[in-house]
Order: sequence, then C-alpha cells, then structure tokens
Amino acid sequence: METKLEQIDGINTVFLSGEVDLDVADQAKEFIANQMVEGVQELHLNLKDVSYMDSSGISILIESHQKGAKNGTKVVLKEVSKSVLKVIMMAKLELVLNIG
Amino acid sequence: MDLIFHKDFLINSQSLKLIRNFSRETFVKINTEEILNQQEEIILAIAEAAQNILKHAYHTKFCDEKLKIKITKGQDKIQIDLFDKGTKTDPEKVKSRELGNVRPGGLGVYFIKQIMDKVEFISEDNSEWVNHLVLTKYIR
Repeated sequence: METKLEQIDGINTVFLSGEVDLDVADQAKEFIANQMVEGVQELHLNLKDVSYMDSSGISILIESHQKGAKNGTKVVLKEVSKSVLKVIMMAKLELVLNIG
Repeated sequence: MDLIFHKDFLINSQSLKLIRNFSRETFVKINTEEILNQQEEIILAIAEAAQNILKHAYHTKFCDEKLKIKITKGQDKIQIDLFDKGTKTDPEKVKSRELGNVRPGGLGVYFIKQIMDKVEFISEDNSEWVNHLVLTKYIR
C-alpha cells in the first residue's frame, strides 16, 4: 500500500493505493489522522487505486468518518474503486460514509 | 476427483498478502467458471478467517508458528480448511456485530458468513492442530 497527500481545489486529499489490509492498517490510519488537524473542515480520501480492502481497511474508513464528525472535519470518499465499493456495500455502509 | 492445494503460512500479518496470492493462484489452477465472479469475495473470506486466527487465536500479529490453508475443489463445492495451533476457539463466541451499531471492527465474521454458504468449526481428537475451521461454497 502507498499513501500520498495532494491539495486539490484547496482541499487536502489523501490517496491510498494498492491493498489495504491488517498489515498496513496502522500506517494508513496514522497518515489519515495526521491530516485531520484542528481547523480542517473537509478531507478527501481518494480510493481509485485501492485494489483490495478487508475489514481492517473498512475500520479505517469508519474510524476516520467518526473522528471527523467529532472534530468538525467532513471526511469524503472520492473515486471509490469497484472492489472497495463492493466491500462497503457488503457492510451496508454506503449510506453511513460520505461517498462523493 | 477432488483437486487439493495446501500451504503453510507464518503467523504474521505480512502473511495475509501471501495467503491472498496463494488463493488467487489456486483459483487460476482450479479454473472453475461457476465461481469466477465470486473469486475475489471468497479470497476476502479466506483472508478474513486467517486474520481472525492471527488476532484471536494468537492475540498478536507476529509469531513463529504456522497456520495451514487447504483449498479443495470438489464436484459441487469449494472447501477451504484453515488449521492453527493457537488458543482454542469457542465457536459460540464467534459472532459478527450488529451492522446498525456502526463502529470500527467486528466485520470479519460478518463478511465470511455473507460470502460462504457454510462456516463450521470441526472438533477433532488426536489432531496435531488446535483449531480447524471449514468454509464451504457450493458451486451452482
């Protein structure tokens, strides 16, 4: 898995790519958490290049969403890959997480 | 005739990728059109089951011991056997969480049960293994 941060139209966007599983979950979680500092109103997670995501990866999305809601940062999932969307839907989270 | 493939993996979170690769390679060898569109889901179920072994039977991401995965292509089913020597699992305690209770964690068992047709723990006397989990997907 690789992580990258870009600013797109003034919004910080975290790009995750490759396979997101238990082995890399802490790394991904920390990278995302570091972008959710005070004053950040919106954070995008771009998942277009995530080829595989397991329940550990889904936990990262839930945790980021909930932490954002608590701290005033709207976390939006962008360009969710087909394989990730399938897992999100299996967990019935498509109406819980912000998918834009 | 059944086709059987098996491999041992270190109790280590890095093994999850190797387990997925082994499963993908096995499905290529099995080459069963009936499960082709469900292959990635079955691989997710296998990886989630292995992840649960790491987390719950060994309570750690790293260990020198090994778990064994056996994939069998039968006439009407794909059977995946997972063996480990960790803490004995109480099948009564293996439960998925309520989906309405949105929180991180607790989804692995739910995914496995959603994807597979049958999930069972086999209790065996005189086995070299402590836990034996069998996941079955029927070929329709």
